[in-house]
Amino acid sequence: MSGTARFLLASWKVNLASALEYRLSFFLLAGMMFVNNMIWLFFWYLFFGRFPVVSGWEMGDVMLLWAVSAGGFGWASVLFGNFPRIAAIVSSGQLDVYLSQPKPVLLNVLTSRMSVTGAGDFIFGIIVFLWVGELTPRGCLLFACALFVSGVLFIGVMVVAGSLAFWIGNAEGIAGQVFGSFIALTTYPTGIFRGAAKIILFTVVPAGFIGYMPIGLMRDFNPAFATAAFGAAAFFAAFGALLFRAGLARYASGNALAMRS
Amino acid sequence: MKLALETRALGKTFKVKEKQAGLRGSLKSLFAPQWKEKTAVDRIDLSVSAGETVALLGPNGAGKSTTIKMLTGILHPTAGEATVAGLVPWRERTKLAYRIGTVFGQKSQLWYHLPPVDTFELISRVYELDRVDYARRRDRLVERFELGPYMHTPVRKLSLGERMRCEIAASFLHRPQILFLDEPTLGLDVVVKERIREIIRERNREEETTVFLTSHDAGDVERLCSRAIVIHHGGVLLDRPVALLRRELLSGKTITVTLADAEDPASVAEWFGRRAWSPMPEGVELAAIEGRRIRLAIDLARTDMNELLASLTQAARIADLTVEDPTLEDIIKHIYGMEKTKGGEPT
Repeated sequence: MSGTARFLLASWKVNLASALEYRLSFFLLAGMMFVNNMIWLFFWYLFFGRFPVVSGWEMGDVMLLWAVSAGGFGWASVLFGNFPRIAAIVSSGQLDVYLSQPKPVLLNVLTSRMSVTGAGDFIFGIIVFLWVGELTPRGCLLFACALFVSGVLFIGVMVVAGSLAFWIGNAEGIAGQVFGSFIALTTYPTGIFRGAAKIILFTVVPAGFIGYMPIGLMRDFNPAFATAAFGAAAFFAAFGALLFRAGLARYASGNALAMRS
Repeated sequence: MKLALETRALGKTFKVKEKQAGLRGSLKSLFAPQWKEKTAVDRIDLSVSAGETVALLGPNGAGKSTTIKMLTGILHPTAGEATVAGLVPWRERTKLAYRIGTVFGQKSQLWYHLPPVDTFELISRVYELDRVDYARRRDRLVERFELGPYMHTPVRKLSLGERMRCEIAASFLHRPQILFLDEPTLGLDVVVKERIREIIRERNREEETTVFLTSHDAGDVERLCSRAIVIHHGGVLLDRPVALLRRELLSGKTITVTLADAEDPASVAEWFGRRAWSPMPEGVELAAIEGRRIRLAIDLARTDMNELLASLTQAARIADLTVEDPTLEDIIKHIYGMEKTKGGEPT
């Protein structure tokens, strides 16, 4: 095992130990996120009760959409929990400790936090898949691919948005907006969007790749869509990493007190 | 002698937005922002030999932390060159990180909710330490830093002094050639400060670790460092061995004497002039008299402290007595004054 792999493993173990330090809080937070997602599914259940098919989407597809979105967000938040907080970390000058250590800075920052609510999201995604997904080796493999692409897109988009803080200073607001709208857009069936909105969903805010996953990857496997989805995930991850790396030269540090938790 | 670090005309400027007060200023700044260039470090030349213990001193805003952050690769300079342990910090940051240790008083590398033993384990993975060597090194540091009772206590429950000892021990785990400390004794009490200085000195002695620290505290300089560099307004004001500095500048102490109740406060001033000393001993100046309290400025280069105290206790019944070091601000003011009187503006 390479030094970086051993470091990642140690970092995740420390994160988990830190999250488990408050057991009750851990179970409450993870449980509440599970319940929160279930309430949204209930809303869609009521909706599809009145309109059984919307632009080719059925209740099962929307449930899988939630499984992919919440599951992808979940594993990304558990293993790379700082991805929504890059802007805040950069603008408040909290990169000093990471920069003084001999590990890739972005990887070190991302793995330094584990989101407990993310664990709830991930478990929710798995349970929903077990409920409505195709429980064959092929179905499971495609779901794993969908989770992978979804998580990488979440991380990539937020690293790009967060890295803007190196140039515009306080980018917390804009990163927060991107985060909120990205999550929201990944939970709506892509079929309801048309024209310019659809173009935006597959370019600037690539939530469409996650939203179309239940149809284009899992139900009717479309090689072109699968390639585009993997390509978009790779592009945003690479672009985020390059932008962050370029931004380090502009890092201004700061004098805020900082503790790792 | 081998150089630990060297800088040539190293400088850093920041662009700072200037805004007039109030809502009108905010609106104006929104549409037509005014930027001003602020020089944090003004082209400084430094050279530190391996094994030296150097203090970088200066008041708030002098550029101490910015300098240390450039030397550790955290900040990129806007001018000049630097090599630390033979590497350019901002270009070879990862390689450099294996050779240096850092302690930032305000930025902890310990995990707040976990005991130090867990962070030590993570740090051993960060620096890819051999497991057997790591265990031996950790145990040795725990023993020397007397961390045994705290290693399994969550950091949030440790006192500031205990936490700082853990921070410094953690920074020694990978045997750094150079240790950078930014305000390591900030906010600590006298006993803890002294203990921290002692253990850093010990590491310097036993492992020849070069120590480069910034501080506000004249005590850190006196008890830990062999050389002091004073910076002010981003530039080097003075670079001198501490022994020389002590003779010239750190020999000043302030003694505050509170007379016992029996002495009449109203006539203390008169008493002092009439009974204490006449004439005033050499190297002693009366700084102030406030009620029963008398403050004396002492120059230890010219006065023997033992004789002075004996003479004071003979002259009056004393209720309380404190001896204080000059503040760093006082020392810098003094240096600034000295440089001006030498001719022109200080460099």
